[in-house]
Amino acid sequence: MEIPVETLNGVSVALLPVDELDAGNAPEFKRDIAPVLQANTKLVIDLSRLRFIDSSGLGAMLSCLRQLSAKSGDLKLCGMSKQVRAAFELVRMHRIFDIAGTKEEAVHAFAS
Amino acid sequence: MPADIEESLRRHAKYSLGKRWDDLSATDLFNAVALSVRDQLVERMLETEERNRRDDSKRVNYLSIEFLMGQSLGNNLYNLGLHDLYRQALTNMGANLDTAEDSEQDAALGNGGLGRLAACFLDSMATLGMPACGYGINYEYGLFKQEIDNGYQREKPENWLLQSSPWQIARPDEACFVPVYGRIEHSTDRKGAYNPMWMDWKMLVGIPYDMLIPGYGGKTVNLLRLYSARSSHDFDMQIFNDGDYFKAVEQKIASETISKVLYPSDAIVAGRELRLVQEYFLVACALRDIVRLFERDHKNFSQFSSKVAIQLNDTHPALTVAELMRILVDEKEMEWDAAWDITRATLGYTNHTLAPEALEKWPVPLMESVLPRHLQIINEINSRFLEHVSAVFPGDIGKAQWVSIIEESTPRQVRMANLAIVGSHSINGVSRIHSELVKTSLAPDFFLLFPERFNNKTNGITQRRWLLKANPGLADLITGAVGDSWITDLDRLRGLESRVEDAGFQADFQKVKHANKVRLAGIIKDVLRLNADPDSLFDIQVKRIHAYKRQLLNVMHIIDEYLSLIEDGRQPVVPKTYIFAGKAAPGYWLAKQVIKLIHNVGKVINNDARASQWIKVVFIPDYRVSLAEKIIPAADLSEQISTAGTEASGTGNMKLALNGAVTIGTIDGANIEMREEVGAENMFTFGLTAAQVRSMREQKSYRPWEHYARNPRVKRVVDSFSSSLFCPQEPDLFKWIFANLLDANDEYVHLADFAPYAEVQESAGNAFRDQARWTRMAILNVARMGKFSSDRTIDEYARGIWGITSLPVCRQTTR
Repeated sequence: MEIPVETLNGVSVALLPVDELDAGNAPEFKRDIAPVLQANTKLVIDLSRLRFIDSSGLGAMLSCLRQLSAKSGDLKLCGMSKQVRAAFELVRMHRIFDIAGTKEEAVHAFAS
Repeated sequence: MPADIEESLRRHAKYSLGKRWDDLSATDLFNAVALSVRDQLVERMLETEERNRRDDSKRVNYLSIEFLMGQSLGNNLYNLGLHDLYRQALTNMGANLDTAEDSEQDAALGNGGLGRLAACFLDSMATLGMPACGYGINYEYGLFKQEIDNGYQREKPENWLLQSSPWQIARPDEACFVPVYGRIEHSTDRKGAYNPMWMDWKMLVGIPYDMLIPGYGGKTVNLLRLYSARSSHDFDMQIFNDGDYFKAVEQKIASETISKVLYPSDAIVAGRELRLVQEYFLVACALRDIVRLFERDHKNFSQFSSKVAIQLNDTHPALTVAELMRILVDEKEMEWDAAWDITRATLGYTNHTLAPEALEKWPVPLMESVLPRHLQIINEINSRFLEHVSAVFPGDIGKAQWVSIIEESTPRQVRMANLAIVGSHSINGVSRIHSELVKTSLAPDFFLLFPERFNNKTNGITQRRWLLKANPGLADLITGAVGDSWITDLDRLRGLESRVEDAGFQADFQKVKHANKVRLAGIIKDVLRLNADPDSLFDIQVKRIHAYKRQLLNVMHIIDEYLSLIEDGRQPVVPKTYIFAGKAAPGYWLAKQVIKLIHNVGKVINNDARASQWIKVVFIPDYRVSLAEKIIPAADLSEQISTAGTEASGTGNMKLALNGAVTIGTIDGANIEMREEVGAENMFTFGLTAAQVRSMREQKSYRPWEHYARNPRVKRVVDSFSSSLFCPQEPDLFKWIFANLLDANDEYVHLADFAPYAEVQESAGNAFRDQARWTRMAILNVARMGKFSSDRTIDEYARGIWGITSLPVCRQTTR
């Protein structure tokens, strides 16, 4: 999948370009986000297009966080719908991610 | 108005079914009428929801793995006060309401008493104007259809949703996701605290289907929300893209299997993974919905238990304890202690069984595989609970082992009753004796720990279905005598006592009973090609076939009566028709053999000219709610003969007495309270008490061979099982009964109760011979059944458990 990346105040913001992240496309996402993770230590992933995420999708997000943490970086998420947020809460992943409302808020959180 | 109803019926025939009125089949007619009635229900359901939301009322949520609803059309029409209007409208249109009602398939989403109780409770909660919702599973296949082949039960699948039920409203927009399986990934959160994450689960989707439940008078229409399982996607696209189309389809089918079939009771379900998933599916869907509705109008979870009550109908929904804790702690980020206080204050648990072996347990490895996060939570609950136990009983390891939620066996097991008891603020039994036995025998150590949590709520039945609808002749007679307020206040039946000596009323009462017996005789003739004499005593035992309910004792008495007649020339006191109906769980060999025995004994007796004018034995196949509504009003004598201490309550006993049957029964379950109400002189009780049976077992003092040797009638009956008398084609067929009855380990002590049973059977026959006396007894049984209305039971739950003291809607008593 093609993952658009923009830079806001020096922080890269990657837009997840799908409305569902599940077993069908999670491997593809992991493959295509890998170069973005390699190129950055601070990253925001914008989930505002996402409407559904399953355990494979959550696992992919966790993998992103771990890769950045391994090099002392950080990942923040933003733009979660209620349903996507519920999936994160279900597995307690909302406690390990920094989750912001908008990409601007997420970028701002890196500054503070 | 009939004209409006006619217009509605024609509209549904044309636009919902796409047919001309004159072309409707009987099933079409039912669908058209049901859809028309549903319109009325929807209006009132929306009004009810608006009222409840405006009042911010506390809502009761009744979680049950079974709801045995039966047919709904007649009941809904009576409760809406529209029965006569629809009958008139259909007559005007050249159709017949009875045809429509008879065409409705029973919703058999339950096995027996437990599921029917849940259905009666829904009726009472709506009639009492209580904001309430039932939560269950929308089984595709309900209880099997029973067919009889050469006396053997054969099970046929019953797909009640095949033609889709007009009563159900699908709510796909309120679907919820249910995760199962997976593993725990141990991590730390952003604050450095331990953070177990539930990863790699599979996802089920629960689609709610609402059935609308009107209370009598129609002011309140509540919901029964039943969930169907669907896979999260039509196919797993990854598998599909990999080219394995069939595997993708299989996975979809596997997900949808969860709500496919109702498990028969008495089946060995422990260890059956699908059943555990099914139980969690119910709990997860219900709690998601309950929390969603709470959050719609409230922000602070500290209010949760003041706005939400959840009643667990037996242990099948006991995972609610862990699931509510998971939601509060994991998703809402509450502290454990605060979450625990809310959970306990919200939940109530109803126990339905006394047999320790019947209490649900799940192997820890299975729980860990299916619900890894819940197992963690259960372990945490248990560890904190055992700390409390050791503080109360220091050094008493035995007590800790007994009350522990985890049984230290191989493999270790999660005890669901212990989980429910620890996690609920109320634990109730379903009759006075049962509730006492829960405290003294089933869970005595828990009673020592939290005596204030234990209470009794004697079961009840709804008089709307079991008298108003099932027995319109008697309902009209009663209304003529005491007015119609009994429909919502069953204690008003006491007014009949003043008419008990009234010869005219007695005659009318007899006439109603006779008409009901004629109707049942017609059904017997149609189904079995057997003539049942409506003037004979109709002695009826209808219920699940189970060893503890002792259909075998009934058959032993029939054999005794038959052999006394043909060998001793001793005629029964009165001609009798013994009527049985009931299903045996498909895997329950003994119960299925009893069905075969009833048929074989019937075959011999019914074909013996010497007995034909005295004894008939009938087994009516495929017992279900709609059949019960036809059998029960025709009963003279109601058989409630379980071994004392085994029947938690029974509700068939109440239905039969309410319809003017006199009970012959043991001192067990609700029989005891029925005897107190109707008077010992109006009931035939016999046999050992629960305490005597227990002591007999403990002291191993039951000696069946002594009964056999001492009582020649006992010997003759027992010997008949080892002979070929009732199985000439298969000589050893019933030898197992001979062995079972003479085994000191017969836990249902048949031979100890046989002689007293035969004695009261004779007393009952003598009483029946005196028709005036019998009719007085029957009238008094009806008059004194007020206590056994489920309205009274629900009122007690509301005040004593749910904390609902005033009901927002007044009862409407006009018919």
